[in-house]
This record gives sequence, C-alpha cells and structure tokens, in this order.
Amino acid sequence: MAEEEETIRPEFPITRVKKIMKVDKDINKINSEALHLVTYSTELFLRFLAEKSSVVAAEKKRKTVNLDHLRTAVKRHQPTREFLLDSLPLPSAQPVRVTKTVSDKKPPPVGTRRIDAFFSKGKAKVDSP
Amino acid sequence: MADTPSSPGGGESGGSVREQDRYLPIANISRIMKRALPPNGKIGKDAKDTVQECVSEFISFVTSEASDRCQKEKRKTVNGEDLLWAMTTLGFEDYLEPLKLYLARYRELEGDNKGSGKSGDSNNRDAAGGASGEDLPVV
Repeated sequence: MAEEEETIRPEFPITRVKKIMKVDKDINKINSEALHLVTYSTELFLRFLAEKSSVVAAEKKRKTVNLDHLRTAVKRHQPTREFLLDSLPLPSAQPVRVTKTVSDKKPPPVGTRRIDAFFSKGKAKVDSP
Repeated sequence: MADTPSSPGGGESGGSVREQDRYLPIANISRIMKRALPPNGKIGKDAKDTVQECVSEFISFVTSEASDRCQKEKRKTVNGEDLLWAMTTLGFEDYLEPLKLYLARYRELEGDNKGSGKSGDSNNRDAAGGASGEDLPVV
C-alpha cells in the first residue's frame, strides 16, 4: 500500500485536458472520474507512442526518434493507425530535383522563322538549335 | 472539489480556443517520452511537435466516442464507464486493466477526501450501473 501518495497526481494539467476535450462542441459535461481517466489514458498512449517509435528508431540504428519512425510505429498498431495516420504530416519532401534538362533554347514550333531570317538576304537560314 | 458545471459563460461558446490550449504542454510531453526511451535516446523536435498533436487527437477521439455512448443512453454527463467502454470499442483494450486500477485508486482516495462511502448506491438518473455520475464533481 503506497501510503506516501496521498493524492493521484496526473502527469498533465487537468484543466488543459478539459479544454482539449471541450473543443468538441458536442461534449457537455464530464465528471471528474472521466476527466482523470482521459488524462491517464493519454499518458498511456503517449508512452506507447514513444516506446514504439523508439523501437523503430533502434531498428534503423538511430538514436534520435524522428517523424518517419513515429509514422511507422503508428502504422504498426491498427487502432492507432485508423484514427491517427491521416493526421500525421506527409513524409518529408525530397528536394525537388529537376530531372529534365531545361534548355533555354527550345526548338520553336514548326513553321516558325527566326526574326533575323527576315533580314538575311540570300541565305534564308532558319536556325533551329 | 465542487467545480461548476460547464456553462456557456465559460468563455468558450465562441469557439475561440487559443492555439496553445489545444495541446498539452510540450514540457510534460517531453518528460514522459524521455522516460520511455533508452538512456541515450533522443527525440527530434519535429517528432516531438507531432506527438504533441497526436495526443490531442487521441483525447478528442476517445472523448467523442465516450460522449456518443453517453448521449445514446440519454445521459448528460460523461462518466468513467463511458470512458472505459470507449477504450475497448476503439481497440485500446490493453489500457483497460491499468485504467481500472487507476479508477479504483482514484475512488478510494476521493472517497476518503469526501468522507462518504457512496460509490454507486444512489438512485439517480445518470447511474448506468457504474459510478454515480451526479455526486462526483462535474467539470
């Protein structure tokens, strides 16, 4: 029996949890038991996310948990995946590499003549670089 | 701990919740996460910020489900049983045992504070076979 603990001490500020719950306008009244249970279950969920993400990071031989590790961890747990995956930021965008060489001298459409072709006498040179 | 019931005068009827009030403090999040990591483990800032959003999503998700059940049973106050039911329904049955233990401890401590032995005996319209929802502080 843990006598030294007189009260249950939630890990999060209860008032803040309440505010988050009340963002949903359909939520009316919540009794204090429910509020404490939400707070505690949130702690459990957070620990779960951290542990699972950490496992993924270790699999990839990384010490720092990043977004991709978190995403993988979410995907691996079906109930979490269902409500959370869509909320995660999209996978980190790769730097956009211009794969086509953009030449600033596009071949002009067929039939086009360069303007200096109008001025060169004798040699109607239609340049198509 | 007689909190006033939620009322429109609480300043939230306009829906203007500050950004920081939609999330739990990052310091708390960070502390709890660190405990779950190996000793030399770290969390990147992006991951931490995203987790902060994830836990708010979790709160909303679970609360919504509990509230649905409450409304279906024509009650106005979401109680502990609604929460436990929501956990199971949503696939978090792993949390049930720790939550029940927590709830038992909470009732024990709160019961001592109140000095009353009430734990579900009262006849009230909100009782749904579990904790009486009305004699507990309503937040």
